[in-house]
Amino acid sequence: MSIAPLEQIERARPWRPGPRLVSLIVGGAAAVLVLYPIAYLIQASLSVGDPQARPPEAYGLDNFAGLGRYSHIFGNTLLVAGVATVLAVVVGFAMGWILSRTNVPGRAAFEQLMAMPYYVTPLMGALAWALIASPNSGFVNQLWRAVGGDGHLIDINTPWGIAWVMALFEGSVAFVMIGAVMKSMDPAMEEASQVLGAGRLRTMLRITLPLVMPGVLGAAVYVFAEMLGSFSAALVLGLPSRFYVVTTAMYQLVSQYPPRFPTAAAMGVSLFAVMFAMVWIYRRIVSAGSYVTITGKAFRPRVLDVGGLRWPFLGICVAYLTVAVILPVLTITYASFQHLTAAAPSLRNLTLDNYRTALSLDAVRSALWNSLFLGVATASIGVVLMGFLSWLIYRSRLPGAGLIEYVLMFPQAVPRLVFAFGMLWAWLVFPIPIYGTLWLLLIAYLTVFLPLGLRTISGVILQIDRSLEESAQMCGAAWGYRLRTVTMPLLKPGLIAAWLLLFIASVRELGASILLMGPKAKVITPAIVESWFSTSSELTAAMALLQTLAVAAALAIMFAVARRAVQAGGE
Amino acid sequence: MTEHNHSAVTRRGFLKTGVLVAAAAPLLAREPFAEAATKVLDFSTGADVAKAEAEGEVVYYGHDGEAGIATLLDAFRKDFPKIKTSYVRLQTGALYAKITAERSAGRFGVDILQLSDISPAIDFQKKGGWEQYASPEYAAYKPEYQSTPAGHYGVPGVSFAGISYNRSKVKPEQAPKTWKDILNPAYKDGISAKLATSGMQHSQWYILRKMYGNDFWQEFAKQRPKGFDARAQLFDRLAKGEDRMCVLAEYAGYTLYQEKGADIDFVAPPEGMPAIAIYIGVVNKAPHPEAAKLFLDWALAKRGQQVYQNQKILLYGSLRADAGPMPTGKKLSDFKLLFPTDWNDYAASHPVFVKEWNSIMGL
Repeated sequence: MSIAPLEQIERARPWRPGPRLVSLIVGGAAAVLVLYPIAYLIQASLSVGDPQARPPEAYGLDNFAGLGRYSHIFGNTLLVAGVATVLAVVVGFAMGWILSRTNVPGRAAFEQLMAMPYYVTPLMGALAWALIASPNSGFVNQLWRAVGGDGHLIDINTPWGIAWVMALFEGSVAFVMIGAVMKSMDPAMEEASQVLGAGRLRTMLRITLPLVMPGVLGAAVYVFAEMLGSFSAALVLGLPSRFYVVTTAMYQLVSQYPPRFPTAAAMGVSLFAVMFAMVWIYRRIVSAGSYVTITGKAFRPRVLDVGGLRWPFLGICVAYLTVAVILPVLTITYASFQHLTAAAPSLRNLTLDNYRTALSLDAVRSALWNSLFLGVATASIGVVLMGFLSWLIYRSRLPGAGLIEYVLMFPQAVPRLVFAFGMLWAWLVFPIPIYGTLWLLLIAYLTVFLPLGLRTISGVILQIDRSLEESAQMCGAAWGYRLRTVTMPLLKPGLIAAWLLLFIASVRELGASILLMGPKAKVITPAIVESWFSTSSELTAAMALLQTLAVAAALAIMFAVARRAVQAGGE
Repeated sequence: MTEHNHSAVTRRGFLKTGVLVAAAAPLLAREPFAEAATKVLDFSTGADVAKAEAEGEVVYYGHDGEAGIATLLDAFRKDFPKIKTSYVRLQTGALYAKITAERSAGRFGVDILQLSDISPAIDFQKKGGWEQYASPEYAAYKPEYQSTPAGHYGVPGVSFAGISYNRSKVKPEQAPKTWKDILNPAYKDGISAKLATSGMQHSQWYILRKMYGNDFWQEFAKQRPKGFDARAQLFDRLAKGEDRMCVLAEYAGYTLYQEKGADIDFVAPPEGMPAIAIYIGVVNKAPHPEAAKLFLDWALAKRGQQVYQNQKILLYGSLRADAGPMPTGKKLSDFKLLFPTDWNDYAASHPVFVKEWNSIMGL
């Protein structure tokens, strides 16, 4: 029997697209998704004629030159975004470490519960905290005065209050992103550290933290950008103290008549600089060191025995869940059954009207289904697309791969409400008639959540030793086969986390949906926000609670089905 | 409710004060033209009802809240079950931006447009956006409640605003009685208004500036008022005691919150209350033109007007000559309403207003 040379075998294989071609197609398509609306946005930012004219009547830099008068708003934005990011990442890291790496009691249950703040829409969180801690009517302050206190104990309508709420409800993504990285970490290094005499804290700071640095940095960059674009908390809690951030200012600019798109677009485009700086810092850090923890050596994730520290850690978990989930959900539930929310319950004030009204609205009935459908579609397509793009950027070594990362982070840099105008103008003139349909919303979500998926998956991909793929290559596995059988299975925690985040982010998406919804393609979150604007916080509470319950039920069903499928596959 | 003057809305009265005129009227002479009208239910329509039902749908773009639009469209569907309804709801600025962007891209998916501000309504007319359709129901309205020339849009209702205050935070003897009282330093840091730079807030700014001079709002700025986007937020905060006084208290919002048991009062200052009209019309190149005409006729007819005026979530006073009282028992004519008299001057004041108002609100 003769053995055919390798070259002949390669030639005999049927033609399959190579990594370069596939990368070019997928990377190019993703870049087009992003750059196409961005081009319209940049065009609008340079418009110096009639602000409503499309296309612009004249071009110039006046809109950027005029941004100086909003410097206090940029300052406010950086302040709350910075404080909220630090809070979110510190809490996310601490909770991620406690729940992934220690033997704290009930960790499995806590881990599930930790995602809960992310299910809760930021608007719902902000409304709940407004009810809890507004200076006059906040329940805590009423209680404070009832026991003889003077004035108010806490005031949520401050920059610190806004940052607190943003960190709780928009920063909880940091836990999921950092937690995914921690789960993928071989505990052998931590164990070695302890064997060599390092204490638990020193091991955590000197071994664990540096190894999960890409995940932490990725989370920090993502969360900071998310905070720059944060809207609901600043809207609900900032306006009462005349405290504006870029998003609330932009919202006013585009909602007023005549809408001042050019100024809002210039504000948005100027945020690109901040985002580029963040991506540059992230890339510098991750390229300067090795963060590999997953190698060819098998490992089983194990937890550290932290002894008596288990109980203080349990206290931290309970405290976090109390302020981020239990207290807000109870407050919103209480408000949803009231005519007019008051701290002291009374039978006369109780009502089911809010639920009756909510369930009678088309916006709740059909829009909820649309939102769930879009959530599943965005998450499922997004995980494949963004998983591939992460591989393309960090593993493919193809020319221009780094540049793609910069391009794909664009949507994170500009608040979605403004980005949506770019998409509106772009997709309106697109020859395929998808404007006003759910397909446009799907494209919009895939575009605006590219940074979320990329950051979540890339944190894990950087932990995987290249040698694993190279070994498969040496054994003759084609690139697609390697990707499918080596890289993707190792990326599983990151992919699952990304799916979950994309699903929830899509269901609660607001900024892009407001403008791109058609009369027959509606989603739920804009209706909830709109109800806060035009009806009452009690009806809003009922709608937000229904949305949260629907998301939780959908996730429970999907997890049950997935578990069954895995079990069936194993039999 | 505290009312200090209930003089009727009369054109002569407004002109006499030199300040105001009845209704949002840029509009005087026009070319009336007749549509062949048929009777359906208890109103007249120029639409072919069979064709409208065959079209089977009306797409509505509006500014009212989700619940308000749903109430309106549900009532229409009840009368015409063969015609489905769908809608897009946005604040007027964003709504108008959306529809103009769609039309400039050659997409014509809207049948009926309702706006809360005259400026975009006129701009839309200039752009040829409205279908010129003379609803037979216009006969029940004064000429000034229609576009010039007639047929582009009509006025399905009027909203107006006074002052409202929280009774547990403001003692009755300290309660505001006139518009000048909102400058009382005792209310500093406890006042709310609308952040919007259109519609009612523009109207109030314009009218009180005419009445009390250019310094009035500069004095008001010293109160450090808080701005919110919609009436629900204004009344929500007022009812909970977060703000002591709301200086743009829409009567409709007050009624809703009073019914909920909020401890608030409404003041109709003797100088009168700023008012705005809302504007509705059939959109040019509508995909369902007959259904759109039918909807417009229905909205302007008594049947539709009962929904606009009697549903508390909407509570727009009807300008029909034969309109009955509002659910509160009051007719529109029971209130002294103030409208801008010189539309050109009003429109020209808008850039000044935007700049001043944003500055007052700390934006």
